[in-house]
Amino acid sequence: MGSLVENLLLGYQVAFSAINLLYCFIGVFVGTLIGVLPGIGPAGAIALLLPITYGMAPASAIIMLAGIWYGAQYGGSTTSILINIPGETSTVMTCLDGYQMSRQGRAGPALGIAAIGSFIAGTFGVVILMLVAEPLTKVTLKFGPPEYFSLMVLALTLVTYLARGSMLKAIIMAVLGVCLSLIGIDIISGCSRFTFGIVSLQDGISVIPMCMGLFGVAEILTNLEVSVDVTVFKEKIKGLFPSLKDWKDSIVSIFRGTLIGFFLGILPGGGVAIASFTSYAVEKRFSKHPEKFGTGVIEGVAGPESANNAASTGSFIPLFTLGIPSNVCMALFLGALMIHGLQPGPLLISQYPDVFWGVVVSMYIGNVTLLILNLPLIPMWVRVLRLPYWVLFPLILLFCIMGSYSMNYNTFDVYVMLIFGIIGYLCRKFEYEPAPMILGFILAPMIEKALRQSLLISQGSLSIFFTRSISISCLIIALLILSVSVFTKKRRQAIVKMVDSD
Amino acid sequence: MEKLDRVSAFIWIIVGIFFLIGGIKYNVGNFHNPDAGFFPILAGSLLSLLGSILIFSTFSKEQEEERNEKAKERNILGKEAWKTSYIPSLTLLILFLYTFLLEVLGFILTTLLCLFLLFRLTNPKRWLMPLILSVSAIILSHLIFSVWLKCQLPRGVLTHLF
Repeated sequence: MGSLVENLLLGYQVAFSAINLLYCFIGVFVGTLIGVLPGIGPAGAIALLLPITYGMAPASAIIMLAGIWYGAQYGGSTTSILINIPGETSTVMTCLDGYQMSRQGRAGPALGIAAIGSFIAGTFGVVILMLVAEPLTKVTLKFGPPEYFSLMVLALTLVTYLARGSMLKAIIMAVLGVCLSLIGIDIISGCSRFTFGIVSLQDGISVIPMCMGLFGVAEILTNLEVSVDVTVFKEKIKGLFPSLKDWKDSIVSIFRGTLIGFFLGILPGGGVAIASFTSYAVEKRFSKHPEKFGTGVIEGVAGPESANNAASTGSFIPLFTLGIPSNVCMALFLGALMIHGLQPGPLLISQYPDVFWGVVVSMYIGNVTLLILNLPLIPMWVRVLRLPYWVLFPLILLFCIMGSYSMNYNTFDVYVMLIFGIIGYLCRKFEYEPAPMILGFILAPMIEKALRQSLLISQGSLSIFFTRSISISCLIIALLILSVSVFTKKRRQAIVKMVDSD
Repeated sequence: MEKLDRVSAFIWIIVGIFFLIGGIKYNVGNFHNPDAGFFPILAGSLLSLLGSILIFSTFSKEQEEERNEKAKERNILGKEAWKTSYIPSLTLLILFLYTFLLEVLGFILTTLLCLFLLFRLTNPKRWLMPLILSVSAIILSHLIFSVWLKCQLPRGVLTHLF
């Protein structure tokens, strides 16, 4: 306990420095803005702003990027409630009851409970992260290459299982990501692979332009296909603080959503979107009046909004304890940690306590800032929403190009971004989800290293993966997931169709 | 969706074979000491195998479902595709040209041209507003990237002016 207090004090020292308070504020402000704007998500925004952090101290950079990540979850609810367009996929479920509440003149309590629920969930998530992360690293320190290999195979299996749509297509995307990661210098032998003499490919494809292309450029190209006629809620928003009855109706949903969100956030591939979908389904299941869901019940806003915020904090656990990202944004955080010279993995917390504890404490500050930022500034976010898309999209594209160019001051990364923009655009048309590709891309070098080291240790025997308890457990779970997905294929597709039709 | 799936599955098989053959060209090593070509062979084979499974799975789907999806296929592969994707295609063309000219003409000239074209792409009736927005965006981005972040943006033909 003593060491926890000491660590927290260190965290306070880092997070409360003037510069880190400023970066935390910038992070949550940009995050909320990104969440409000339907054109770009947190992955694109983090990729866009990552090059800006090169000159910062590692703690400051992660504090700002983390602010964008959880800030976007707050901001996304505003568009869902006021214009029935989810700013993020994680706020799709908020549209169902949130928008109906707006139509009934109850936009204020809907926005209020979304912000307060998010605050409670976010704070709870930070407390658990703080308590769990360090003891977990002691367990993960015992992991060797075979355990890491099996764990990452399990992570990729989960990512593909939890992806929306066809699991086969999700696996293909993950393997494509693995193949693309092979471009560049081999980490063990130093041999140059698939570079075709192009010097810029020696270091491999950079994940930042790749994400900007897949999640920024592709999103814009898709949006340009249809002219979205946005009608922003014009009535004056009043009564942001929920009434006693609203509190009574939603407090259990907030805590249920928080728990569901946090645990689904830890799972690779679980992420914020699945957390909010699950929370909505659970609330409907436990409700005394499930038939009223979709007509403007406050539990339908409180549960999913709490879940997506708790999940955004929960997803930091595998990153900080194992160095394994659970979603695309965490993959970018992994990249950010490495760019700043930090080695993600079980030793991260002990080697860089200022970064970990600074980020944890900054999350408390960030959550309070978001609560302050969201409630009084809602009229400002509504005005931002009125910005026409023809003004917005060229500016986002310009920032994407400048972000890519400023990484190495050459146009190669810009071309990479544009090519991945085309790939992402086609993926959406051909119904492939790009997220497993990024996770496959990020995890592949670690999988390859762990596989080759394991085979070296075992002198070529594959039995090393089946004789160690953690390794075999992970592989059995992965196999079970694959089997379950084959047997429940129709049911799974029905659920996806149901969510899509909602 | 079957036709689209078959097209994409074919691409994955080709990409998989590419990595498989590429892997064979490097030192493969063996199970005792896997080398640089070992993992590409595994990944390439797996991608080709998954592509083949996807092709086979398209033949087993119900015909009714196929009929429902035909309209969608026409929207992506047929003549109707151009109607929905010409603005995204033109946007991409402008962006590729922008990237190509960025280091030749410099940041200011190329960005002005690119932004003006993009602003007018979805709003072709206006001239003045896109121009004002383009100039304002250049000033703002110059302040952010060059002044604040100290990025060395290409000056191109305007080198001697600064």
